[in-house]
Amino acid sequence: MEGKRRRVQSETQAQSVILLMKIKEFTRALLTDLTNGRSPLILIDRFRSYCAVPNANCFCASDSPCGKEALTLRKKSRAHRLVVMLRVMLIVQKLLQENKHSSKRDIYYTYPSLFLDQSVVDQAINDTCILMQCSRHNLNVVSAGNGLIMGWIRFSEGERIFDCISSPNSVHPVPVHVEEVQDIISVAQYILVVEKESVFQRLGNDQFCNANHCIIITGRGYPDIPTRRFLRLLVENLRLPVYCLVDCDPYGFDILTTYRFGSMQMAYDTKHLRVPEIRWLGVFPSDSERYFVPKQCLLPLTAEDKRKGEAMLLRCYLEKEVPQWRLELKLMLQKGVKFEIEALSAHALSFLSESYIPSKIERKLIM
Amino acid sequence: MEFSTVQELCLHLISSAYQRCRLSEQICRLAIILTRSSSSHPSLRISISDTGIGSCLEEFQNLRFSSTDVADNWDGMLSLKTTSNMPDQLFCLREMVLSCPHIILIGIRDTEIHSYQINLKGSGSSRITRLPSNTKNGAKFSGSEAYLSSFVSRDLLLADIHTFIQKNIAIQLVAEDCDVPESRYEKVFLSNECKQSPVSASNLELLKSGIEDYVVKHGNNLSNKCNTCFPSWEQLKVGVGVACCTDNRLHTELVMEAVILISNVSTQNITCFREYDNKTEVLYFEDFSPCTISRSSMKTLESIDWKTYGLNLRGAVEQDGVTLLEWENLPTDTHIDVVLHIYHKQYPALDRSFLSLSETVKSTVIPAPRKMSPLARNLVKRAVKLALDDLKANHSQAFLSSRALQIRGYAPDLAKTIAGLILSSSDLDFQGECFSLLGLQSQEVGTEIVESCIEERIVSVIEMNDKKPHNYQQVAPYLFEELENPVQDSEFQENDFGPFDF
Repeated sequence: MEGKRRRVQSETQAQSVILLMKIKEFTRALLTDLTNGRSPLILIDRFRSYCAVPNANCFCASDSPCGKEALTLRKKSRAHRLVVMLRVMLIVQKLLQENKHSSKRDIYYTYPSLFLDQSVVDQAINDTCILMQCSRHNLNVVSAGNGLIMGWIRFSEGERIFDCISSPNSVHPVPVHVEEVQDIISVAQYILVVEKESVFQRLGNDQFCNANHCIIITGRGYPDIPTRRFLRLLVENLRLPVYCLVDCDPYGFDILTTYRFGSMQMAYDTKHLRVPEIRWLGVFPSDSERYFVPKQCLLPLTAEDKRKGEAMLLRCYLEKEVPQWRLELKLMLQKGVKFEIEALSAHALSFLSESYIPSKIERKLIM
Repeated sequence: MEFSTVQELCLHLISSAYQRCRLSEQICRLAIILTRSSSSHPSLRISISDTGIGSCLEEFQNLRFSSTDVADNWDGMLSLKTTSNMPDQLFCLREMVLSCPHIILIGIRDTEIHSYQINLKGSGSSRITRLPSNTKNGAKFSGSEAYLSSFVSRDLLLADIHTFIQKNIAIQLVAEDCDVPESRYEKVFLSNECKQSPVSASNLELLKSGIEDYVVKHGNNLSNKCNTCFPSWEQLKVGVGVACCTDNRLHTELVMEAVILISNVSTQNITCFREYDNKTEVLYFEDFSPCTISRSSMKTLESIDWKTYGLNLRGAVEQDGVTLLEWENLPTDTHIDVVLHIYHKQYPALDRSFLSLSETVKSTVIPAPRKMSPLARNLVKRAVKLALDDLKANHSQAFLSSRALQIRGYAPDLAKTIAGLILSSSDLDFQGECFSLLGLQSQEVGTEIVESCIEERIVSVIEMNDKKPHNYQQVAPYLFEELENPVQDSEFQENDFGPFDF
């Protein structure tokens, strides 16, 4: 165990040395351009996880760059982006040299007057990752962690042990330093990913994991990077089926696609974040009839819902890889109504844990 | 070309004379002499003579005089004496001074001085009468004299000509009035006395020199350069631009020359007169004559992207026939002067023989009048932009575009960051390498020195970028720099991503 930990540490250090070298090379090239009177031109690969042309013969699934962006001193917006990226790089250089970690929010507060907005820092971190061909955690930039886990699993993160098995219905945070996770032991039969914390808590209260040998994870809305990385790690290590339960509305559907295909903003690192094995357990638009969801629980789609749903219909991966999902989304738009997972509890509070989820898995009513 | 007053006709004749002088490519003299020989004979003899290339009849054949105003009291008869037009054989008699109004010509090989009488109120072939010619008696010279006698007011005409010449910075001219010896009026307008242009100076060089002269004499209101306001010529930043196109109707090339002059004058010197304050008077010339700029050309001036050159144009206004450009945020000590000159490169009939022109006159074919406005619009824009580019190329710091100024605003942060990347690196070899790239010795290196050294280089690159054409793209064409989002914006702008998506 100690040996494994040391190996993880030395791998991380080696990665830091490579990154520091790349930052120096980058700085040297920039300085050479400036001292030779050349305007610096920094090309940043551009990635996308999908395009909006249905039936297109695109390469979105290939993980290859789909073009480049140029950072130069010729445009104000690009010049600002360059300054911010360099400033982030400077912080990263210090973090790597001192073997420290920082959150992107910490970075923002280092120079708020220069960065102006958190999203600018986020973009700079992404630009740096793309330039340095690494993932964000390699820069020693980490999130606070937002995901939760419970169920039949035990693992360690560095020296910290996550012994969920001893109390399968107790809530634990998802580990932030996923690269340090090891010694995963599980007796679960499947992994259940739920969109919302309220549903996660409902299942905990219902002692769902007592009756079902599973692992339950929630990203509490749109999943953050550690949650997605951790889920992927579990799927790779445990080779368990993984199901996803989201609200029957365009946002729930989008969260589902984020788990499976990755997000657009993190498209450059999608190959390390997506979980192609994930299956959609519910709730489907067609479930409203199958499970007799009361009419008062069916809410009309707002204009914003419709706009978002229509736009999602165009995503290339739906037609290519999950046409059934797309049909359900289409059905949602045709019906013009949405409902939450909790609407299923209208019949009985424990309907979700006692009937809906087990019956779905048993009867393979999943997509 | 039709004139309704003797004054207008005279200004046209002066302008034509000047063009002939320019075409001779030699130092020439142009004299305007208004003579009232005696009070018993009150008509005013108006003589406009030049030592340029000889005239051709085409210049005169389409002139018309339509006034019925008795005040003009002119019979419409214009007399012309000229050598024939032989531009490749000209030479100059620099020292010759025309003191007598009846001596007309300076010239070359042609042995004859041709005389004509043209009735500008007449029509048909009979309006031009050829008079007996005189021999040059072996002398070599070229030139012309056009003269007429009219009862027009001498003072009014003199005032018009004075204004014309004062504005006409492109003309090097002597004007004399010798009505009676004791009331002799003499005024000499020379282009740029302080900076003599060479004989072979181009029109553009003379225009440039002329506007400099005009500016340093406070709009020709002084006889000499104002040394208080302009102690040195280095204060003047001058940019020139030339744009050409073919005038298909006349089969000649149309040229637009623009000169923009920016001067810095101490505001403490309030004694000097500034006619239009901080506004810019646009001097506009067509075929060597000052005239009012067309409304469309004025709009073209307004449409120029002045911001690219760090200038904010509020608008163009017309004030008493003078076109003025008003600026925003222009430093109080800065003044901008603009002069535009559009002309046909080829003077009429240069490519035709005198004989063939006579034939033209006989068949009464009148060339279409020159209308330059539609072509001028495009030329104005191109020439002014070129002049601004020229200014910027030579004074890049002073004419950074507003965009470049904004980009330059990032230079300190950028320099600080790059210096930080170097100085905070734990790799001393890397640091040494960077210092040597910057030309710094390791022992003299301090944070401030490194930062300022990098900033200097960044600023210089930004200035260099600003000089290049704005559609310049170093980026390969397959890059989609402008495309911010490859998918539908509508889907991407919203909260597709939660705050913890990262």
